[in-house]
Amino acid sequence: MTAHTSVIGTDFPVRDARDRVTGSIRFVLDHAVPDMAHARLVTSQLPHARIRSIDTDAATAMPGVVTVVTGADLVDRDGLDPYFGDQRADQPAIAIDKVRHVGEPVAVVVADSAATAREAALRVVVDYDPLDHVVDAEEALELGAPTLHDAHPGNDCGAWGLHRGDVDAALADADHVYRGTWTTPPGSHVPMEPHVCIARWEDEAHDGRTGNGDDRGHGGRSLHVWSAAQSPHAVRTALSGMFGLPEDDVRVEVGNLGGAYGAKGQVKIEPLVACAALVAGRPVRLELDRDEVFFTIGRHAAVVRLTTGMDAQGHIVARDVDVVYNAGAYAVTSPGATRQALVRAPGPYRLANVRLRSRAAYTNTVPTGPFRGAMTAQVCFAYESQLDDIAADLGIDPVELRRRNLLREGDVFATGEELEDVHFTSLLDDAATAIGWDEPLPATAPGRVRGRGLGIMLKSTITPSRTEVRLAVDTAGRIRLDSSSVEMGQGVTATLVQLVADWLEVDPDLVDVPAPDTARTPFDTTTSSSRTTFSAGAAVRDAIAALRDELAALAAGQWGCDRDDVEVDGGTVMRRADPASAVTWAELVAASGRDEVLVDGVFQSRDELDSTDPMDVHGRATVHWHQGAAAVEVEVDVETGRVTVERAHGNCWAGRVVSPLRVRQQNQGCIVFGLGPALFEQVVYEGGQFTNPNLSEYLLPSILDVPRDLTSSALEGGPDSELHGVGEMALPGLAPAIANALFHATGARVRDLPLTPERVLRALREAGATPDRATGTIPERASDPAGTGAGDPTTMGGASAHA
Amino acid sequence: MPVASWLEPTSLDQACDLLADDEFESTALAGGTAVSLMLKMGFLDPERLVSLARLPGLDQIDVGDDHVDIGAAVSLSQVAQHATLRACLPSLATACASVGNVRVRNIATLGGNLAEADYASDPPAVLVSLGAVCVIRGPSGERRAGVEDVVVGHYTTSLEPGELITSVRIPTPPGRSATYLKYLTRSSEDRPCIGVAARVDRAEARPDASVTGLDVVVGAVAGTPQRVAEATEAEVGRPLDRAAADRLATAYAEAIDPIDDARGSSWYRTQMIEVFVRRAVIELSDGPGRGGTA
Repeated sequence: MTAHTSVIGTDFPVRDARDRVTGSIRFVLDHAVPDMAHARLVTSQLPHARIRSIDTDAATAMPGVVTVVTGADLVDRDGLDPYFGDQRADQPAIAIDKVRHVGEPVAVVVADSAATAREAALRVVVDYDPLDHVVDAEEALELGAPTLHDAHPGNDCGAWGLHRGDVDAALADADHVYRGTWTTPPGSHVPMEPHVCIARWEDEAHDGRTGNGDDRGHGGRSLHVWSAAQSPHAVRTALSGMFGLPEDDVRVEVGNLGGAYGAKGQVKIEPLVACAALVAGRPVRLELDRDEVFFTIGRHAAVVRLTTGMDAQGHIVARDVDVVYNAGAYAVTSPGATRQALVRAPGPYRLANVRLRSRAAYTNTVPTGPFRGAMTAQVCFAYESQLDDIAADLGIDPVELRRRNLLREGDVFATGEELEDVHFTSLLDDAATAIGWDEPLPATAPGRVRGRGLGIMLKSTITPSRTEVRLAVDTAGRIRLDSSSVEMGQGVTATLVQLVADWLEVDPDLVDVPAPDTARTPFDTTTSSSRTTFSAGAAVRDAIAALRDELAALAAGQWGCDRDDVEVDGGTVMRRADPASAVTWAELVAASGRDEVLVDGVFQSRDELDSTDPMDVHGRATVHWHQGAAAVEVEVDVETGRVTVERAHGNCWAGRVVSPLRVRQQNQGCIVFGLGPALFEQVVYEGGQFTNPNLSEYLLPSILDVPRDLTSSALEGGPDSELHGVGEMALPGLAPAIANALFHATGARVRDLPLTPERVLRALREAGATPDRATGTIPERASDPAGTGAGDPTTMGGASAHA
Repeated sequence: MPVASWLEPTSLDQACDLLADDEFESTALAGGTAVSLMLKMGFLDPERLVSLARLPGLDQIDVGDDHVDIGAAVSLSQVAQHATLRACLPSLATACASVGNVRVRNIATLGGNLAEADYASDPPAVLVSLGAVCVIRGPSGERRAGVEDVVVGHYTTSLEPGELITSVRIPTPPGRSATYLKYLTRSSEDRPCIGVAARVDRAEARPDASVTGLDVVVGAVAGTPQRVAEATEAEVGRPLDRAAADRLATAYAEAIDPIDDARGSSWYRTQMIEVFVRRAVIELSDGPGRGGTA
C-alpha cells in the first residue's frame, strides 16, 4: 500500500463547497414529509399579561384549518407535561394562563396550507388582562418589581459568586483604584435560516418495533422530529420528558443548518410543533417568520460594574466584578450560563485578590441564550476598555500594561485552578505586531483621526460534556463515522473526515459522515461553545483505537493467531511475521460474515466547578481555556462620530490545527460578525415592545462594512497539542479593541455598546475633542478619561503612535 | 386577505382605469421591492395587484440638449450605471447607486421610488434639488408636477386614484454641478440618517463664476425632502465659498426640525444637517461635484 499522506493541517475542502456557493445544498428548511400540515403562530403583543380568553372559533371555521391549539389544550392532557427548559422547566410549549414577553406563542393554527394557516391566525382573538412589566434586569431585581414566575421570587434566574484573597483590603492599599460601568444591550443572532421544525407521530417505534400499545397517553406512538437544532440530543431529552416517552421513542433528525450562532441551541420550537402535531393528528411543519426568530431567542444584555486596584508599578492588585445579565422571560440556560459567566468575568490577568458576582434576572423580554462569544463579550468589553483607561492614566503603553499582568503558565486562576497551556502573551504580541502597534499612524484627511486598540480574552467551554461517536468499516472498505455534531457551515463534517482519515491512515474519500439522527448517531451534548473539534476529536481518537483493536481481534480469530501478532495498517491487516498475509479491511470484514465492524468512541469531561455554595464557586471551570485577541485600526470622523474599522486582526490559540483555512475563516468571521454588536446592532424595547424585529431596523454588517485590511493568525502547537475549537476566540476582544482605538484616536471613551456615531459624538464633545471647524484638527485633550485627575495627555495624543 | 388577482395591463390607459376603478382595492406594482414588503408587514391589503411590467415605453432613457427624460420603469441600477447619466447627472447616479443593495437596485424603479415617497430613500431629495418634474398619466389625461409637489408627506404623494408616474424630466442646463452626500449611521446597506443633495448653477462652467441658482435639499430628516429657500436664495449672485457653506449649514440646522428614529435622534440629525450641508456646499464650491457618499 502507498504511504499515507497526512491530511490534518491541510486545507482539506468542504465537500459541498460548490453546492453552498451555488445555493443548491439542502437545509432543514427544505425538508418536507407526506401529508404534513402547516402551522402559524399567534403571538403575544403584550409584554406581560394574563390570558382571559382565546376565541378560536372564526379561525377553526375556515376551510382548510385542521385545528387551533392553545395552552388550554395542553394543561390537562394525559401524559403531557407542557413545560420545558434546559435548566428550569419554566417555559410552556404554548403560553399557559399568561404571557411573559412580546412575541410569545399564544396559539398555533394548523392548516392544510401555510397560506391558510397565516390567514386563519389573523382571526384568533386573544383577550388579555395586562400586568405590570419589567424590561431592565436591574429593575427586575429590585423589591416590588413585577414577578414573572411565582416559583422564582425576585426574578432570580441564577446568582453566583466567588472571592479569592481579600479584595477590600487590597483596594484600600492600592495606589490607584478605577471604577466604571459598562453596558451591552440585548442582541439577536439572526441566522439566515429561521428556526424550522417538522414533527410526526408514528405508530412504529424507531427500532422497528410496532407500537407497544402501552397507555403513555399518546397511543403508544413514537415521535419523529426534523429540526434546525444545534443540540439534537437535548431536543430528544426534552421531548421525551414532556411526552413521557422513552428516549428511544423520540427520534430527532438534523440536516444542514443555515447558520445558528447559538440561536438553535438547546430546545426552541420543537415542543410547540410536537404538541401541535399531537393535537392535529397530522405531521406539522413550522417555519418561523423573521420577526418570530427575533422573538424566540436573543443575546443577554448585561451591566458590568468593574473596580480594579493598581500598584504604582502597573500591576493589578485587586479586581471586583459585578455582572447583571438579562435572562429574558424564560431561563433557557441562564442559571448555569451565569456560573460560566462568573469565571469568564475577571479576564486573562493575574489576580491575587478577586471578587466576582454574576447574576441573571427574569424580565419581560425575549428569552436569551448562548450567543457567539457567550457571556464573554459583555465582560471583555468592560475589562479591556478599563485597562486602556488605566494605561492612559498611568502613562503606560496598553500593550506593556497587559504584558505585565497577563496570566502565564502555572498561574493560579480565580477559581483556584492551576493553569496550563497558557498563551496570552503570545496572542498579545501577535495582535500588536499584526496591527502595527508601534508604527506611525497613516495621514488622514482633515477632520479624521486614526487610532489603534486591542482586546484579549479568555473563555471556558461547556464543562462537563459528553460526545460519543460510532465508527464502522463495511465489506466495501468504506468507513462511516456516526456523529451527532451538527453542520452549520462551520465545516465540522470536513474536520471529522480529516481526523478519521488521518488517524486511520486511509484515503479521505473512503470516509462518510452522515447527518445527525438520534436513532442512528450517538449522543452528543451540543454543537456549540467551540467544543466540537476538541470533544468530537477525542471521541474519534477513542473510536479509532477501538477499531484497530477490533480489526486485530477479528483477524486473529480468522487466522487463529495471537492478537498481538496482528498489525493493523491503513486499510489492511497482516500477521507481523508474514507480510504476504495482508488483507484489506474490506476482505477481513467480508470474511467475518458481518455487514460491518462497528465500534464506539467516547469523550467525557468530568471536571466540574464546585458550587455547593453558590457564592463560593471554585474548582476546574473548563477542560481547557479558549484564548484569543482582536486588534484594530479605526478612523474616526470627528464631526459625525462615525467610526470606521480600517484594519482588523483576529487570533486565537488553536492548538493542533486541523484546517488552517477554517481557522482563518473563523477568526475573520468573528471580526465580521462582531462589527455589528460593536458598532450598531441592538434590540430596542420601548414600553415593553420590541421595536425592531426586522432586518430593516436591526441591521447586520454587510460585505461593504468589512475592513479593507482583515487578517488573522492561528497560534499553533506541535503535533502533540490538543485540538481546539476556534469559533469564538477573536470576537469578544473586538468591541473593546474598537472602543480603545477610538479612545486612542480622540480621548473619547464610550462605555455603552453599540458605539453608535451619536454616542461617539457626545463622547467626543465631553472629551473636548470637537474639531476646529477651519482645519478639522482636534484640540489637545482637555480631560483625562479615567476621571482620576491624574491623566497624562501626552501618552494618548491624537495622531501619535503608541508610545 | 391574500391578494385575489394579479393583473398585467398592456396599455397605460388600461392600467389607469384598473387603478382608478377601486382605489382601495388596487395597488400598482413596478419593481415590487416596496410593495412586497408592505404586503408582508400587513400595511397594504389590496384585493388586486396591477403590475406595470408590460406597459410599453416606460423603460426609456432619452438624453436631450437641456434635459433628460427617464422612464418610470427604468431601474435604479440602470440610472446608476448609465454612462451619460453619470456624466450629466452625477448626483442622481450616486443616489441611485446607494439605495439598498444591488439586489434591490436591479429591480426597484425610479417611478416606484417616487410613488413610494419613503422619507428615507435617496433619490427624492436629489430629484427635488435638480428641479425634476414628474410626467403623470391619469384617467383624465396627462399632467406635470415637480417632485416636491408629488412627494408631499410621510409615504404620501399627491397622485390621484388611477394616476401613474410615467417619466421624470430632469433639466441639464450648462454650468450646473451637483452632489449627493449620503450619511449612514449603521450598516453600509442601511437607509440614510440624512442625505444632502446640493446643486449649483453658474453663469459659466468655472468654479469661481457667479452663482445663478442654488438648491440644497436634505432628505431622511422629515416626511419630505427639506429645503430652506431663504437661505439658498440669499446666496445667489455671491461667491460659493466656505463662508457661504457655513451660513447655509447654520441656516439649515436652525430651520429644520428633524425626526427621531433608530438612525439618529432629532438632536443628532440637527448636528449632521450642519455637517453635511457644509460638506456638500464645500464640495460644489471647489468645482463640479462628482457626487459621493460620506
